[in-house]
Amino acid sequence: MLAPAAALVAPAPSFAVDYLTAEQAQAAMFPEADRFEARELALDAGQRAALQARLGVPVKERWPVRVARRGDRTLGVAVVDEVLGKFERITFAVGVGADGAIRQIEILSYRESHGHEVRLPAWRKQFVGKTAAAPLRVGEDIANVSGATLSCHHVTDGVRRIVAVLEQAGGAGGLR
Amino acid sequence: MRTRINIRIGGALLALALGAAAPARAVDAPAAPAPEPVEPSTVFTSYGEINYNRPSRPSEAQIDLRRFVLGFQHRFDERTKVVTELEVEHAVSSASDQGEVEIEQAFVEHQFGAVWAGRAGLFLIPAGLLNEHHEPTAYYGVERNFVETAIIPSTWREGGIEAVGAFASGLTLQAGLCTTMDLNKWDATSDEGRLSPLGSIHQELQLARAHDLAGFLALDWRGVPGLQLGGSVFAGDSTQGQPATGRAVIVLWDVRARWTPGRLDLSALYTRGTISGTAAFNTPLAADPANTTLVPAAFDGWYVQAAYRVWSRGDLGLSPFARWEEFDTGRSYAALGPGLTTPAALPVQAVATAGLSLDVTAGVVVKADAQWFREDHTQNRIDLGLGWSF
Repeated sequence: MLAPAAALVAPAPSFAVDYLTAEQAQAAMFPEADRFEARELALDAGQRAALQARLGVPVKERWPVRVARRGDRTLGVAVVDEVLGKFERITFAVGVGADGAIRQIEILSYRESHGHEVRLPAWRKQFVGKTAAAPLRVGEDIANVSGATLSCHHVTDGVRRIVAVLEQAGGAGGLR
Repeated sequence: MRTRINIRIGGALLALALGAAAPARAVDAPAAPAPEPVEPSTVFTSYGEINYNRPSRPSEAQIDLRRFVLGFQHRFDERTKVVTELEVEHAVSSASDQGEVEIEQAFVEHQFGAVWAGRAGLFLIPAGLLNEHHEPTAYYGVERNFVETAIIPSTWREGGIEAVGAFASGLTLQAGLCTTMDLNKWDATSDEGRLSPLGSIHQELQLARAHDLAGFLALDWRGVPGLQLGGSVFAGDSTQGQPATGRAVIVLWDVRARWTPGRLDLSALYTRGTISGTAAFNTPLAADPANTTLVPAAFDGWYVQAAYRVWSRGDLGLSPFARWEEFDTGRSYAALGPGLTTPAALPVQAVATAGLSLDVTAGVVVKADAQWFREDHTQNRIDLGLGWSF
């Protein structure tokens, strides 16, 4: 399923608050991929309820994802989601490898007056290599940023949710 | 390597345009991009504190609706918003009541680019750890610590312009030009100046004299997750052009550190203020015995604090904490001329606080603590507090 790459143009960030597009993020997380395939994960009511009970955060029913492939191999999955900081939306992307470990997280847009440090490589690097088995909680394995507590908590909750949803779906392999 | 991208829009997060050369794929792509989800342009914010204090003299027990704050943020466009906060202290404000109504913040913020934003209006000075993050859910202890009320006069706001730079290294720089104190407001017959030198002479943008302006600079580094190191300095003349006494430059600076490894939350701060030219200002006051509070030349304070999240489940959390603070609102006085008595330095005060914070949910906290006052045990007290913030 091809379309000329030049014809599919994501808008260049029109405002300073948009730091990365989803395409740039997925390319950064899976540089060896030769294509990304759009899929949609749909959770049934039972899966949603179980996840919500375990995670303590709302879980939506449908999850658009991009599966990174190289030849026949599935490298992993990139998922874009958004959470609230204190008042403003934070858009972020999580890349999870076929082994279930987080490759990277990227902050695509951030508008709060405080807490921009969640965009720093040093803060995001804390997520690299973690799986659904990790706590992925601020104050445990993820350090807080002083003055940005809500942004840190909500982004961390969002990453934990994505990893749990993917694990529920059987990982990247389950997205064939 | 040529990357071929095939994207089907499942959510509303990206807008795609198909080139005219490629036939529209009705299944894979809609004809028009889905609209961006619209977030509310105007949000209300609030925080509040209801505090119970029970000192060693039971007749002085008190419950006070210490603060009720209502504010709003309105976003005009992707780059511009206005931030406001209105506060009522002590529940009832009138000519015959002890409460106060005041505007704590009212500024417009504009994001110029990826690094720089500008603020204009009434904003919080980036001093200390508490001033900019002063909601009851943001600090340990029922009452705000003494160092950051007596020395740094939280909630300290001035009117002016400010540049905020957020750098890739984790450094945040804040610098600005703003109103400053008015030394002519010093009331030597009251003890307000002994409780908080700068708190007794700040103008809060209330018909503020602007003959003198101040500059401030704050730097905070958060390059390592969980660590904040920073400092600030504020300086400005405070005589506001009144002819009598010459310059009286106020300088207030602080250094601060906060480290939150895992469940621990450690912080430390030192702050010092100086006022020049106080001998000339105090001399005409010194002769009258009714003037019991002269202007100090220096005042300072410091604290160390540790908290530990001993238990948490979901949004519930329990954190015991302990703090030791020392402060002196009259560390030194400028020598007065012959025939006048230069005030002796005020004794250093020390307060130990130990207690618990129970986070009921994100945004609601119940607090309890006990405070021991080294210099005056009659002030020892137990405090309980309820706070919210959203």
